[in-house]
Amino acid sequence: MAINLKQIAGMEAAYVKGHRMCAGCGVAVFVRELFIASKTAGVDVVIANATGCLEVTSSVYPESAWKYPWLHVAFENAPAAISGVERAYYALKAKGKIKDDRKVKFVAIGGDGASFDIGLQSLSGALERGHNILYIAYDNEAYMNTGYQRSSATPLYADTTTAPFGKKIPGKTQTRKDLFAIAVAHGIPYAATVSIYHWNDLITKIQKALTVEGPTFILSLTPCIPGWNMPVGDAVSLAKAAVETGYWPLVEYENGVYKWSSANPKQLKPIEEFLASQKRFAKLLKNPELLEKFKQDVISNYEKYKKLCGVA
Amino acid sequence: MKELIKGNEALAEAAIIAGCRHYFGYPITPQNEITAYMAKRMPEVGGVFVQAESEVASINMVFGAAAAGVRVMTTTSSPGFSLMQEGVSYLAAAHLPCVLANIMRGGPGLGNIAGSQGDYFQAVKGGGHGDYRLIVLTPAYVQEMIDFTILAFDLADKYLIPVLILTDGIVGQMVEPAEFPKDYKPNFYDKSWALTGAKGRPKNVVRTLWLDDYGVENNNIKLQQKYARIKAEFVMYEEFMTEDAEVILVAYGTPARICKAITKKLRNEGYKVGTFRLQSAFPFPEYRLMELALEKHVKGFLVVEMSAGQMVEDVRLSVRDYKPVNFYGRMGGVLPEERKIIEYTLDMLKGKVEVN
Repeated sequence: MAINLKQIAGMEAAYVKGHRMCAGCGVAVFVRELFIASKTAGVDVVIANATGCLEVTSSVYPESAWKYPWLHVAFENAPAAISGVERAYYALKAKGKIKDDRKVKFVAIGGDGASFDIGLQSLSGALERGHNILYIAYDNEAYMNTGYQRSSATPLYADTTTAPFGKKIPGKTQTRKDLFAIAVAHGIPYAATVSIYHWNDLITKIQKALTVEGPTFILSLTPCIPGWNMPVGDAVSLAKAAVETGYWPLVEYENGVYKWSSANPKQLKPIEEFLASQKRFAKLLKNPELLEKFKQDVISNYEKYKKLCGVA
Repeated sequence: MKELIKGNEALAEAAIIAGCRHYFGYPITPQNEITAYMAKRMPEVGGVFVQAESEVASINMVFGAAAAGVRVMTTTSSPGFSLMQEGVSYLAAAHLPCVLANIMRGGPGLGNIAGSQGDYFQAVKGGGHGDYRLIVLTPAYVQEMIDFTILAFDLADKYLIPVLILTDGIVGQMVEPAEFPKDYKPNFYDKSWALTGAKGRPKNVVRTLWLDDYGVENNNIKLQQKYARIKAEFVMYEEFMTEDAEVILVAYGTPARICKAITKKLRNEGYKVGTFRLQSAFPFPEYRLMELALEKHVKGFLVVEMSAGQMVEDVRLSVRDYKPVNFYGRMGGVLPEERKIIEYTLDMLKGKVEVN
C-alpha cells in the first residue's frame, strides 16, 4: 500500500469542492487525505459524522460534499450511530441480502467537542463492544463551530470565549485530555496520532486503521484558522510545526505495542515556532512564567510517549 | 439610562443583578453569548462559571448548586434543552429553585439555528417524565429579557420550582435599547432546607426517590398543590387594543411583536383588531382569554406561532367553543408573513371563519 505523491495528486477526491469550510481549513485537508487512504487501501467506507464544523459545512441542504454513504445524527452519538450501521450491515450479510465481498470499514468522525466531551461515553461504548469501526477525532482544540469555546482538548493557557485569558484567570488552566490514552485503554487493536502535514505518515496509518479488523482509532491535529486566530495560509505549516516542536508527537499503538513515528523530529524546535502566529496564545507569549509551564507540559507529554515507545 | 444591548447578554447581566453567582453552560447556537458573557463576568463578581462537558452535565451541576441553596442558572437552545430533560424532571421533583433558559431554534432534530417556537409543548406540558410543571416566562423584548430573568429568580425561590425563560433565537440575538434596574437588591428567600452541612441542626434531605407505597404519590400531591397555588397567584400577559377588538391576535415572543405592528396598521385603516400577548405560558392566562371570548365585540381569535400549532391548543382549551380560534404558523425557523396574518385577520373580520 505504499504511496507516492504523484499517484495521489491525480486522484479524484471523494470529498468534493463546493463545501462551506473556511478558506485554508485543516479539516478539509484531513478528509481528502482520509479518502486517499481509503482508495489506496482498497477499503470502502460508510461514515457517521457527529455535529460540528465538518458536518455543518459539508452538508448544507440540499447539497453534500460526500461521495460516500454519509450519516449525521447529533453531537454526542456518532459512535452509537455507526455501531447500528455496522450491526445492520453484518446482519444483512449473514442473511445473504448483501452479496458482494468488498472490504468495508465503518467510520465515525467527530471534532474534539464531540469526541473528548459530549460524545466520550458513546465512543467508549463503541470501542468496548468491539465493532468493526474506525473512530476519527479531528482535534482543532476547541468548539469552533459554535464560536471558539474551550473543550477538554484545548491546550493550557489558550484564549477561548469561555476561558478568556484575563487578569484573574489566564485562559484555560487545565491541560489537554489524553484521548489517545483513553482509546488505547479499551484494548483496541490499533490507534494512532496523525498530523495533516505529514501526509505519508497519515495515509499509511489510516490505511492500517481501515484494514485492521475491529475498533481502531485515529487522532488528528487539524488547525483551525479562525479559532486559532492565525493567518489563512498557515494550517498545514502549523501542523508541521506542532510535530517539529514536540507539541504533537506522532505515535502508533498496534496490538499492544507503542511505535514512535519516523516523522518525529530528531531535534525539537523551540515551542514558539508553533505558538507565534496564533493569536490565541498572544497573551501567553508575553508571560514568561506561564510560557515555561506550557513548555513543561508539552515536554512531559512528549517524553511520556517517547518512553512508551521505548525511544531513548 | 437605556443602552443598546443584545437580548442574550441582557439576560446574562440580569442574572448577575438578581444575585446569581453560579452559572453552568455548554456551547450551542443561538445562545452562546450568554455562556461567553458569564465566562468573563463571573470572575469579576466573585461568581462561579463552569463549562460542562454536555448539557446532561450542566443541568446536573444546576441540581447540585440548587440543592446547596444558591441562585443558579443554565441556558441552552432547543437540542440542548432536550438533553437536559432528565435533569429538569429531577429538579422539579426535588422542589429545587433554579433558572433555565431555552433560546429556541428550528427543530426537530438538529434543525437549524434560526429562531423558532417549536418547543412550547416541551416547555409547558412536560418534556421530561412525570407529572411536573415549570413556571414558563416568554419575553419578547430585550427589556423583558432583563425584567423576566430577575423575576424568574424570585419566583423560583418563592415557589421552590425551576423557572424557564422560553424565547426564540430572534429575541436572543436582537440588539435594542433596554435598561437595567439601578437600585435592585436581590430578594433572598429563606433556604433553611438547603444542604449546607448538618452540624448543629437536624439533617435536610433533597430527594426524588421513595420506595414505600405512597411516598411518590405524596410528593406528587405536594407538587400539584404548589402548581395550583402558583396558578392562583401568578400569570402575566399584555393586552394591546383589545378593549373593543373584533379579532384578537394571540402570540408570544417575536410573532407577538409582528402581531402588535399589524394591529396598529389595521387600526389605522379602521379595523378593530387587538393583540393578546402571553408573557407567561405556565401559568397560562386561561381565565382572561375566556373572559375575552365571552365579550360580545370579539368575533374570534387568530393564534400566530413559529410552530405547527402548539400554544393554539391552550388557547382553544381556554376559549372552549365560545368563539372560533384560527391558527397561522410557520415552522423550522421561518417567520410568519405579515400579509398572511392580515389576510386571515380580514377574513375573520368579514365573518369568513373557517377554523383550520
